[in-house]
Amino acid sequence: MKFIKTLSVALLSSVLCAFFAACGDNNSTSTDQHEHFEVEGWNLYWPNWELAYSVYRGKADTSLEVLKVNANCMSEHISIKFLDENKKEVAGPSDDEHSLGWEVGDSKLLDIHWEGGWGFHLKGIKEGETTLILKVNHHGHADARTPEIRIVVDKSLKADECPFQEDEDED
Amino acid sequence: MKTSLFRATMGSLLLGGHLHSFAQEFVQDLGSSTIEAESPKQALLEGLREDEDLKGAVLEREISTTIAETIRNEPDVAIRSMGPAAARPVIKGLSGSHVEVTEDGSFCGDMSATSPDHAVASEVLTAQKLRVLRGPNILLHSYSAAGGVVQVERKDIPFSDSIFHGYVAWYAESGQPGIATAVGANAYAMGFSVKGELSGRRMRDMETPEGTLENTDIENTGGSVGAAYALGRFRFGASYRWFESAYGIPGGFIGGHPDGVDIDLWKRDLTVRGLYLPANRSGDTLDITARINRYHHKEYEDESVGAEFAVNQENLRIEKSMTNLGSLFGLRFGAELDSRSVKMGGYVFTPPTRSYGASLFAVASAGGWRGLEMTFSGRLGGEFFRPQESVVVDKDAIEDRNFALWAFDAEFSQRVGIGKFLTLDIFRTTRAPTIEELYNQGPHLAAYTYERGNHKLDAESGYGTEIEYRSYGELLSWRAAAHGTWFLNHLAPRASGDTNWSQLLPIYQVRGDEALLFGASASVQTTAELGLRASAAASYVRGIFRDGDWGDMPQIPPFKFHGELGYIWDHLQASAYCDFALAQNFVDRYEEPTPGYITAGAVLEIRWKLALAKYSLVIRADNILDADVRNHLSRLKSVMPEKGRNFSALAKAEF
Repeated sequence: MKFIKTLSVALLSSVLCAFFAACGDNNSTSTDQHEHFEVEGWNLYWPNWELAYSVYRGKADTSLEVLKVNANCMSEHISIKFLDENKKEVAGPSDDEHSLGWEVGDSKLLDIHWEGGWGFHLKGIKEGETTLILKVNHHGHADARTPEIRIVVDKSLKADECPFQEDEDED
Repeated sequence: MKTSLFRATMGSLLLGGHLHSFAQEFVQDLGSSTIEAESPKQALLEGLREDEDLKGAVLEREISTTIAETIRNEPDVAIRSMGPAAARPVIKGLSGSHVEVTEDGSFCGDMSATSPDHAVASEVLTAQKLRVLRGPNILLHSYSAAGGVVQVERKDIPFSDSIFHGYVAWYAESGQPGIATAVGANAYAMGFSVKGELSGRRMRDMETPEGTLENTDIENTGGSVGAAYALGRFRFGASYRWFESAYGIPGGFIGGHPDGVDIDLWKRDLTVRGLYLPANRSGDTLDITARINRYHHKEYEDESVGAEFAVNQENLRIEKSMTNLGSLFGLRFGAELDSRSVKMGGYVFTPPTRSYGASLFAVASAGGWRGLEMTFSGRLGGEFFRPQESVVVDKDAIEDRNFALWAFDAEFSQRVGIGKFLTLDIFRTTRAPTIEELYNQGPHLAAYTYERGNHKLDAESGYGTEIEYRSYGELLSWRAAAHGTWFLNHLAPRASGDTNWSQLLPIYQVRGDEALLFGASASVQTTAELGLRASAAASYVRGIFRDGDWGDMPQIPPFKFHGELGYIWDHLQASAYCDFALAQNFVDRYEEPTPGYITAGAVLEIRWKLALAKYSLVIRADNILDADVRNHLSRLKSVMPEKGRNFSALAKAEF
């Protein structure tokens, strides 16, 4: 009986102390709120600044030829520019927090070769047709994304027959 | 011995042979000359409603993974979910902040009302009683008379003079393979009492008829300590409760994260309570409760924090109960003060906001006019929002908002025969917008919605009515009710027609529209305590917006039915049941219809007493036919069905 009384007093006092201590307790967040990089469209360019693909407010420019790459080959470098609400081109974020992300419909057919920045190469694996979604990743989450981009992987070529050779990129 | 007319006539009110347990308590009291009879402090109808609480054997039979799952067969109740952990009750088609969840009478401090991926931070296995509060008493806790309050009772502060009481409970199931355990005990000596409780739950991914639904595992731990002291007519007590949960939200549905989201949350509640019990009126009490709540919630996408919430809430509640006031036989009134701070991190597009609330509430019951009882309740107060500047929200949208709120409920219950009651309830419902409805300006990762708040919103308001008939007979008890609420300004996110072109998601804008919500429910059960037992219940609700044209409201549950047939022996009860839901084709724009389903199951209950202890074993087989069940209120319905064939067992010992 005495034990219960002692235990009750100890518990009651502890909880009351904790109660008043908790009034000043600061339970806060450890992560800052992240601003979104908002874009309304994407322009993809070949190295000669010829438009390879364009989408604005969900509508792709159908007058442009479908993106193609040969199996076993890499495409030329494709640069990305973003479009704001006035359809004006803006560069991608230059901080370390944002990066290019992608989702390939059928990874047995196509891969992406990315060396940083806002550009990439298509890398054909096997002949066929698939889709590609490009993303602006921010802390592992996509701030922006393209609709599905149709990609055609043409017949396989030997490495030395590929229209684009990797060392050309360095030039 | 002073005996009220009410108490004396209880036996005749309810037919002989079977007495409702609420009535039985009165009759037993009348048989004891040592008990000073007291006037009832609430309407008879409220007592009959209390009899429908899920407690004891009924609660053990229904217990499941979450509170929402456990009360799923209650009239007008449906489940909004996004995986088995994130399940929250929906009442009469209303969800979110229309439905309050309380623990031991005070708010359950979590974020479950704000998003479908947020779990209710409360362990169901430790609950002693679950009640879906209906009628005028809703206004003791909430302005939302059209919705409801789900009360979880644990008695963490042990105002009990039971010398020693304890329990051990164990639950396991195959549908989401895993176990849950809870152990608790309280003791009393010389005016002091203590209580302690521990619980744990570990469940793996949910099994469905189409395979395993990845990332639906749950891991919960929790506990509480409490102590109380009785000093003359005063009672003082305090408790500390903690709860931690790690659970997964599956991905793969339209717009969802491909690999899902992992959520870690913790909650701490510190509660102190004081009671004053006057000498000659045991029904008259003055009750003061203060609760400090801390809640923290992190959502992980891959390895990074996608969203984070930190909630600091303090609440003070003072309530006075009075009885023996002549024909006004029960009066409860009080005041509530609330302060809440919500901070956000990661990809949450709502500014950190402090909010304050102050309210007065009262419920009065009167009777004595040829079987007519009337209960009136009201809640009057204000809520005040103080958002802070944030990089994620336009400065123009950061605006302080103040809301004056008032709600009333008048219920007239007429005894129309022996054990028969006809009840009419008329109410005004209201609520202040949530901070998300006011200020949010972006997508929510896990729920994957793009919702824009509206800082110019007015408070939600509407008028409603419910008519109910109850009959307590020798063989059967049944009830049927129909309800309707006309919302003058129903707050809900509606498709705006705009798209966020960055995320390629349709933008939903929160706005207030006229809306009509109406429905009905009915239930019937045999009253025999031994022998054949049968019960059936059905609920239906329909919601329509008046938005120029009439259009269906989103997230309205379809018609559902639950029927059970069983046999009761002295220590054994066996039953089989069937559940079905019709297809839901009344859907809002961008919302997919959901097919109906039919499932069957069986329950075996064994109870016995041995050496001052009570033992229960409940074995359930749910969805025996492994039916494809799609919950219209689940965002995962497009990916996978609900839990498939599930065998579960609950073992409990009370001493």
